[in-house]
Amino acid sequence: MNKQLITIQEVAKKLGVSLDTLRRWDKNGKLKSIRLTPTGHRQYNLDDIESLSENIFSIAKNWVTGENPKEPEDKFYCADSIRFQSRLTYLENDLRNLPNTEKDFSLIVAATGEIGNNSFDHNIGSWTDIRGIFFAYDINKRQIVLADRGQGIFKTLKRVKPSLSTDKDALITAFSEKISGRAPESRGNGLKFVRKIITQSDNNLSIYFQSGNAILNLKNGDLDLNITQSYFSINGCLAFINF
Amino acid sequence: MIIELKKFGTTLTSRQSGKEALLAFRPILNLVPANEKIEIDFSGVNTFTPSWGDEFLTSLQNEYRERFFLKESFNLSVKATIEILEETNEIKFQIKK
Repeated sequence: MNKQLITIQEVAKKLGVSLDTLRRWDKNGKLKSIRLTPTGHRQYNLDDIESLSENIFSIAKNWVTGENPKEPEDKFYCADSIRFQSRLTYLENDLRNLPNTEKDFSLIVAATGEIGNNSFDHNIGSWTDIRGIFFAYDINKRQIVLADRGQGIFKTLKRVKPSLSTDKDALITAFSEKISGRAPESRGNGLKFVRKIITQSDNNLSIYFQSGNAILNLKNGDLDLNITQSYFSINGCLAFINF
Repeated sequence: MIIELKKFGTTLTSRQSGKEALLAFRPILNLVPANEKIEIDFSGVNTFTPSWGDEFLTSLQNEYRERFFLKESFNLSVKATIEILEETNEIKFQIKK
C-alpha cells in the first residue's frame, strides 16, 4: 500500500511542536519516524500524523451531545457488537507493541471491552436514535474514547432500582453495587470490574465516565467514587480512558 | 477433560460470544463421564473479561462444582476476572497450579 510521507517540518507545523521535540519523540519511541535510507531525513506517514492531531474526546463529545443525530465517521463507528469486538482486537495488537503496556495491555483491553459491551447489552432494541457506539483510540496520546447515544445508566438502572433519583446515584450504584440492569438476568459486573482495574492495578490508568449530568473520575489508588456534576448532559454514556 | 479456551478465541470479551461458546461446546460436555474433572486452560488467551467469563465459567462452576477447576493463569485480565466473578457471584473457583 502506498503511504503518503511528509517531512519533519510539516509534522512540526501540524502538531504545533518543535523539531527538537519530534527528534526526541523519535529517539524515545513516542513518535517514530520513517527513514528510507539509514542516513536519510526523517519522514512520517501523513495518516498517522492526521490522526495524532485529532482530539478524539472532542469528536466523541460533539457526537454524543449533538442535537441532530447522525452516525459517526466510519472509522469511529461500531454499529454492532461484532464490529466492536473486531476493532477491540486492533487495540489489543497495538497495545501489545507499545512500550510499557506489554504487561497491562490485557487489563486496558478488558476494561474497554466491558464499557463497550455494556453499551450494547443495555441498549439492544432501545437506542435513543443512533444504534451502536463511537469507539476510537489514540496510541500516541495513550487515550481511548467510547460513547453511546443510548438510554444511559440512570434509565437502565431505574427499572430495577426505582429508588434511584439522580444520575449521580445511578453512577454510584453501577460502579459499586451488585445490580443488573437486565434483571432477572444475573449481570452487572462490568463497571465494577472497570473500577477495580483502574483503582487497584499497578498501572497509570484513569477514566472519565459520564452518563446524564454525572461525571465519575477514577484513578489508581482511589478508594471513593469522586462524582461531580457536568455543565452539559448526555442521554447515553461517554468514557475517556488514559493509560 | 481440559478445555483450552484459546480454541474459542484469544480476545474473549462479550457475553454473546461467551454464551455461544458454551452452547456450541455443550454436546462435547455431555459426553464427559460423571466422575471426570473439567479443567479450564487459559494459556494463549490475550484478553478475558467478566462478561465472557460469567457466561462460560460461572455456568460451568454452578453445574460441575467440585469437579470444576481453573488452571492458574498469570494473565492480568484473567486474574482480575476470576476475582470479580468470585466477589459478585459469591462463589469460589478451585485453582489448579
